Amino acid sequence: MSKSISAPARQQSGGVPAGIGRRMRLRLAHRSFRILCAAAAVLVSGVLLTMLFFMFRTGVLTFQSVSLREFFLSAEWEPENDKYGALVFIAGTFMVTALTLAIAVPISILAALFLAELAPSRLARVIRPILDLLVGIPSVVYGYMGLTLLIPALRTVTGSNLGDGVLAASLVLAIMILPTITRISDDAIRTVPRKYIQGSYALGATRFQTVTGVILPAASRGIVQACILGMARAIGETMAVVMVIGNTPQLADSLLKPTSVLTSNIVMQMPNVPFDSTWNNALYMMGFLLLAISLLMIAVVRLLQKKGEN
Amino acid sequence: MSMSATGMSDRRQVRRKRRSDRMFTALVWAVGIGCTLFTLALIAMILEKGMPGLSWSFIFGLPSEIDAGGGIGPALFNSFYILILSLAISIPLGLAAGIYLAEFAPDNKLIGFVRICVEGLASVPSLIFGLFGIALFVEGMGIGLTILGGAISLALLNLPLLTRVTEEAMRSVPPEYKQGSLALGATHTQTIFKVCLPVALNGIMTGICLTAGRAFGESAVIVLVAGVSTSGIMWDFDPLSPGATLAVHLWYVQSEAIVPDAAEIASKSAAVLLIVVLLINMVLRIPLWLVDRKKQA
Amino acid sequence: MKWYGKLTTLTLAATLLLGAAGGGAATAAASKLSGKIVVNGSSALLPLTLQASNEFKKLNPKVRISASAAGSVTGPQAVRKGIADIGACDWDASTDVPGFSKFDGQVANKVAVIPFAAIANKSAGVSGLTTKQLQDIFSGKVKNWKDVGGKDADIVVVNRAFGSGTRVNFQMKALQGTDFITKGDNYKEVKSSGDMKTAIETTPNSIGYIDLVYVTDKMTALKIDNVAPTTDNVINGSYKVWSYGYFMTKGQPTGATKAFIEYIQSAKFQNGSLKKLKFIPLTAMK
Repeated sequence: MSKSISAPARQQSGGVPAGIGRRMRLRLAHRSFRILCAAAAVLVSGVLLTMLFFMFRTGVLTFQSVSLREFFLSAEWEPENDKYGALVFIAGTFMVTALTLAIAVPISILAALFLAELAPSRLARVIRPILDLLVGIPSVVYGYMGLTLLIPALRTVTGSNLGDGVLAASLVLAIMILPTITRISDDAIRTVPRKYIQGSYALGATRFQTVTGVILPAASRGIVQACILGMARAIGETMAVVMVIGNTPQLADSLLKPTSVLTSNIVMQMPNVPFDSTWNNALYMMGFLLLAISLLMIAVVRLLQKKGEN
Repeated sequence: MSMSATGMSDRRQVRRKRRSDRMFTALVWAVGIGCTLFTLALIAMILEKGMPGLSWSFIFGLPSEIDAGGGIGPALFNSFYILILSLAISIPLGLAAGIYLAEFAPDNKLIGFVRICVEGLASVPSLIFGLFGIALFVEGMGIGLTILGGAISLALLNLPLLTRVTEEAMRSVPPEYKQGSLALGATHTQTIFKVCLPVALNGIMTGICLTAGRAFGESAVIVLVAGVSTSGIMWDFDPLSPGATLAVHLWYVQSEAIVPDAAEIASKSAAVLLIVVLLINMVLRIPLWLVDRKKQA
Repeated sequence: MKWYGKLTTLTLAATLLLGAAGGGAATAAASKLSGKIVVNGSSALLPLTLQASNEFKKLNPKVRISASAAGSVTGPQAVRKGIADIGACDWDASTDVPGFSKFDGQVANKVAVIPFAAIANKSAGVSGLTTKQLQDIFSGKVKNWKDVGGKDADIVVVNRAFGSGTRVNFQMKALQGTDFITKGDNYKEVKSSGDMKTAIETTPNSIGYIDLVYVTDKMTALKIDNVAPTTDNVINGSYKVWSYGYFMTKGQPTGATKAFIEYIQSAKFQNGSLKKLKFIPLTAMK
């Protein structure tokens, strides 16, 4: 780190004789770089707004023929009989996401602590790329393993006939988002200045106290960020979920009852419905809703985080 | 009497503390090792099913619909081609946007909103990006199902994660470093390039690795925008060719193909995918090692 | 799309000219054929499309064919929107079918005969069902295998998503139009033929249906009214659960698209690769 600070310093001292021209040039470079970055940010937001508009434009047409009340509060999804209640999918999405996070977050944070604090650095250096590999396994493979390994196992353990449902989907998703949360939290924990941690130990704090009292609070920003990105992935994942959720439009009153979530319903039906039908519009509306739900959940997490900081 | 009692309870407390501490340490170790073993088992399972029978003729061969023994050559090539194109688009954009949010953006409600939106974008299912890609490239531009369209749609899919990870990494650079650099007279841009980026590189690389891995394994977008067919020849650099990737081929083989050895092709493709992701991770880490070395030297 | 239209017209004109000049040198003209063909639609027809396009491209290197697949109805829809030249569909989309209205102005080109089979997990202990029993099971009236001659176990019904070509055909031909159940603890829907295969192979006491091509020896292909689902029984007319696969085009096909469809319909492809893919040649049906 001393090296990285000294680099510009050296350059500066070398640049002094060049005088004003150089300073102008630097300022110009700085300004154009800043504009470039701003342009990129605008573009990213632009993509977002276009996507929002793209989904909303088609989705909002749903309400020409379906009442808001029916769409949000009815659990009857029978488009072939003109019944467009999306409650099953909305509830399903919340359930699956919540259960996934309940499984994945504690494990991921412990694993991140292990990598960043407890494991010898050599071991951690080997484990990190291994965890990254989990991200690279295509979701189709996860789904297939869920279908051929997890579901038969759930059937034997629980004695149910099918095994598809919220539990199976959450387990698969938890494995899928584990590396995202772990690795980003790991990076966050590693950037906690050593002196805080050493200070805590020097004051006689135990490891548990140091972790809960110093490391986690100091890294909380990054860890929350990690959880949000993991959650976002869980909400939006389709290909794997569709293979283990059961795809049945009924409210799940047990974790092992086949049900459906927004994404799985979109991916199951979108390719098979007429373009200009209410059905198609309703599916786009569900895509928009998905985005709305994840924005809502993110806002809630942020709010909790702010409360925690105060 | 009372003195010794407090002494006793103190000692007991220390002992209890120590015990809970030891339990905590054991728990973290157990979870860490457990996760690693689980991952290894998963990987081993995929490799064990796919590695035997993996041959160069499979990796570079042309796919077949009827006879057993088809390869994955063009699909694998397309995978790399699309990955490189999409990273070439998403890395500069994502980094620049992330740097803007972390360094230049005013701290107001609008930017806060943009930030939440970018995160929200990360949860849009890839299918929707695919439909968006169809509307843009197939309907709007009329170029059909192409590698180019697939690469751009994939880049859009990966932008949010990359942007947010970059921003977080830049923010986690200790402010003392920046202040030091600025105090020494460096401009903000110089500080970003010479001080912040090298320090944040670790986090940014994590972001790129995660993105690259996900892009390599993504199928829903590609099926819709780049198609399920390849041009059927190796080394076809034409960005307007149909661009089925290995992940798409895997999906196709698993869900619709009729070839007698479909299951075998699927497990072999999964193994190849995994090996390639491992290689990509290793290659992307080289700059990190170099920086580490420099630091140590 | 405009330049493409022009291109095909030009190509067609050139082909005609050449054909006229050469006095029927068809092969020479065909190899000069160029253009772009986009195929979308039914995933069940995808293996056939891919194989045909591989062979066709070898004969006509200047033609670029890209194929994708989503669902049957995507095919004619993409054709109507002008984003695909050929829409693969498991039913004749120029007529009305249950759930989908017809697409005006489109021509259905038959390309293959596709047989379907009702399948069950081996544990069910049943080798055949009557049409009535099938209707009762898929509509949820019969819930236990013992009621149809099997062992005492709950029936797990696996269905395809609404709009799947296989589902439309199975409903029309095997269930004679009766409705499916849509809910229940022992009911699930799957996304593709491959998922159906895996689900039936691995779920005890399950029943579903699939293209005959995908039937393996790890499942029971059920006799319907005592007729086994075999290619021979389809050809001799005793097994009724089959349909044509169609390539939908906007009006009569022209240019490269026409040549491609003709190639698929040619005796060489029908009796060669198509048969090897386990579809039934068009000419076999009387």
